[in-house]
Amino acid sequence: MIATVARVMWLALLRDRGALMLAFVLPPLMFLVFAEVFSGAGESDLEMRVLVLDEAGTPLTGRIARAIGELDGIVPIPGKSESGPLGVADLEALVRQGQADAGVWLRAQPDANLDADPPLVVIGDASRALAAAVVTGRVQRVLQSEFPTLGVARAASLVDALAGPYTDQQQEALDLALSELDAETLEQEGGDTSQDGLVAQRLLGGGREIDDGVSYYAGAVAILFLLFAAMQGAISLIDERNSGIVDRLVAGPGGYTVVVVGKGLFLTLQGLVQATLIFTVAWWLYGIDWFGHFGPWLVTALLAAAVAAWLGLLLASLCSSRQQAQTASAFVVLILSAIGGSMMPRFLMPGWLRELGWFTPNAWVIESWHGIFWRGDGPAELATAWSVLLATALAAMLISIWLAHRLAREK
Amino acid sequence: MSQAGNEPILEIESIAFAYRDKPVLRDINLDLAPGRILALLGPNGAGKSTLIRCICGRLEPDAGQVLVVGKDPLRNAAARAATGLVPQQIALYPHLTVRENLATFARLAGIDKKAVGSAVAETIKVCDLDAVAARPAGRLSGGWQRRVNIGCAMSHSPRLLILDEPTVGIDPPAREAIESLLTRLAGNGLAVLMTSHDLAQLETLADSVAFLSEGGIAATGTPAGLIREFFGARRECRVSLADSPGPELAARLGELGLASSDRDALHWTGLIDEQPAWSLHSQLSVDAPVTELRVRRPGLDSLWARLYGRHPEPVA
Repeated sequence: MIATVARVMWLALLRDRGALMLAFVLPPLMFLVFAEVFSGAGESDLEMRVLVLDEAGTPLTGRIARAIGELDGIVPIPGKSESGPLGVADLEALVRQGQADAGVWLRAQPDANLDADPPLVVIGDASRALAAAVVTGRVQRVLQSEFPTLGVARAASLVDALAGPYTDQQQEALDLALSELDAETLEQEGGDTSQDGLVAQRLLGGGREIDDGVSYYAGAVAILFLLFAAMQGAISLIDERNSGIVDRLVAGPGGYTVVVVGKGLFLTLQGLVQATLIFTVAWWLYGIDWFGHFGPWLVTALLAAAVAAWLGLLLASLCSSRQQAQTASAFVVLILSAIGGSMMPRFLMPGWLRELGWFTPNAWVIESWHGIFWRGDGPAELATAWSVLLATALAAMLISIWLAHRLAREK
Repeated sequence: MSQAGNEPILEIESIAFAYRDKPVLRDINLDLAPGRILALLGPNGAGKSTLIRCICGRLEPDAGQVLVVGKDPLRNAAARAATGLVPQQIALYPHLTVRENLATFARLAGIDKKAVGSAVAETIKVCDLDAVAARPAGRLSGGWQRRVNIGCAMSHSPRLLILDEPTVGIDPPAREAIESLLTRLAGNGLAVLMTSHDLAQLETLADSVAFLSEGGIAATGTPAGLIREFFGARRECRVSLADSPGPELAARLGELGLASSDRDALHWTGLIDEQPAWSLHSQLSVDAPVTELRVRRPGLDSLWARLYGRHPEPVA
């Protein structure tokens, strides 16, 4: 008897393709995404897009720049644009916009002068401080292993300054040791040891009062739940189809299209309320400057809600039963959210997954809100994201309406 | 029974429809005047649902035309506005009250926002829904839900009401209430087109019936007229025996026009000339082991059996 019940369950699962996908395809897919992110997060193969700007332009800084660019896990970004070589302001802009995870600014030839500012500066964004820390560590490691004399010379200068000048004999021995060191690289040990005074780290936007991750996660959580709620709400479309309500409406003058459009409008407003609630908490408890950026926020919120609503309705239009729609929506929302950055920051992802993320609404919504609150992006910077979201919402709406029309007039 | 009107509300002229080259409707011609009730009958697959979809403007016939209030429902919103459809399922929003359901469907049927209140009040009055108007539709009994189902198709005052199995799954008192409601609506001038498997009900309710078979009309007319046409003055007779008849009794039953279909020849049926039961009994031998002898006027179920070669499904 027990086996009979188990067999019935097995046959039910086997004949429900959606449930089958949810049970056996989604878990390895989700694992793949998480494994791709976290298997590399603590090791050197975590991929970072880095712009190395050699402003000093000396042979030594050129060698350092090349060495950094050749490091495993560093994806160099070209230091030139159509308008010419990039400057440090361009570097900062690229980091702020998220086009580079960090930048390495070689502003001066490293020497033994301790009074000068650090010759190498790793510039990162405070909202992605982890990326800056990882790059700083790698730069320090390459300096220690490939250019050991720099650190030792500066240490010697420090001793000189603190304990008085070296004798001629001591200076001669030191020069000899440095020349020998220069000829060979140091053993790889203690790679995270700081090279005092050689590398500085500067985080952009870190002076703000709010917690660095709040603006990111407010957007990430908002789009995740907007999608979930819209998908659930859109399932009523299937209930109405199965209960005969659609038959009744189609026979009337209004038809079925008005119902689909009405649902789209409601789900959009519902999403707007959800986003408002989340950002109210972010403003109230974490001090996010919501009212200072209310206009761009509202546009993004409306577009995010519209995308979620119409994707939900499109999915419901394509499914034939409530069960199928529930399975499909869980599948779609989890995958979109994992790839799109709702579950973990996309800068932690390998390059191919980051690129794939641009095919999800999550990535565009998160980037848009993050840009508004973190970088103070305005309509000009947000135009691309808004266009993508608008186009997605419109495409999903038009297909949903077309499907509704086709259902109503069975041509 | 309701009175006849003048210009037909529904005109179906020689329509044909094929699905993937398989004919589903063939040369259908029907008219329905205001105040009349027409029942479409036939087994599953006879073409009833397809015909209703053509009338509702969801399917375009391959040939012929359907006109509702003189207009093509496929292309004309006014024709669809004149139609109210009552699906077989309970097509209501269960969490809304009856009044809210009526208002919702009135708006979706194009009733102006200001006129919705009066339209709902009128529907509640006509369909006698006052007792349940404030209750959620999902908590009503099956019979009340069926009535509200009809009410929601009436809230925009259609001139043609189409009902798909309006009495399925409800008890006899609720069925009588629906029958009474439909008679009243037809009495108010509404043209009613319905499908039903409750043939006994249709004999008194419907002004005319149309039997569909393989997409065509096998017979159409008033119930009484069709029964007269197919059976004349003959009566349906059924004789049940306690034991298998001997050769003499079997021959006598055969001479009366009865035949047995069961292996032991315990049950004999057939059409006989009109005569009282005692007369029939006297024609059988006195010691015949008759346990039941029934003579009845043929009904629509008899006609169904004649047309389709099998008895209709029992009413749920």
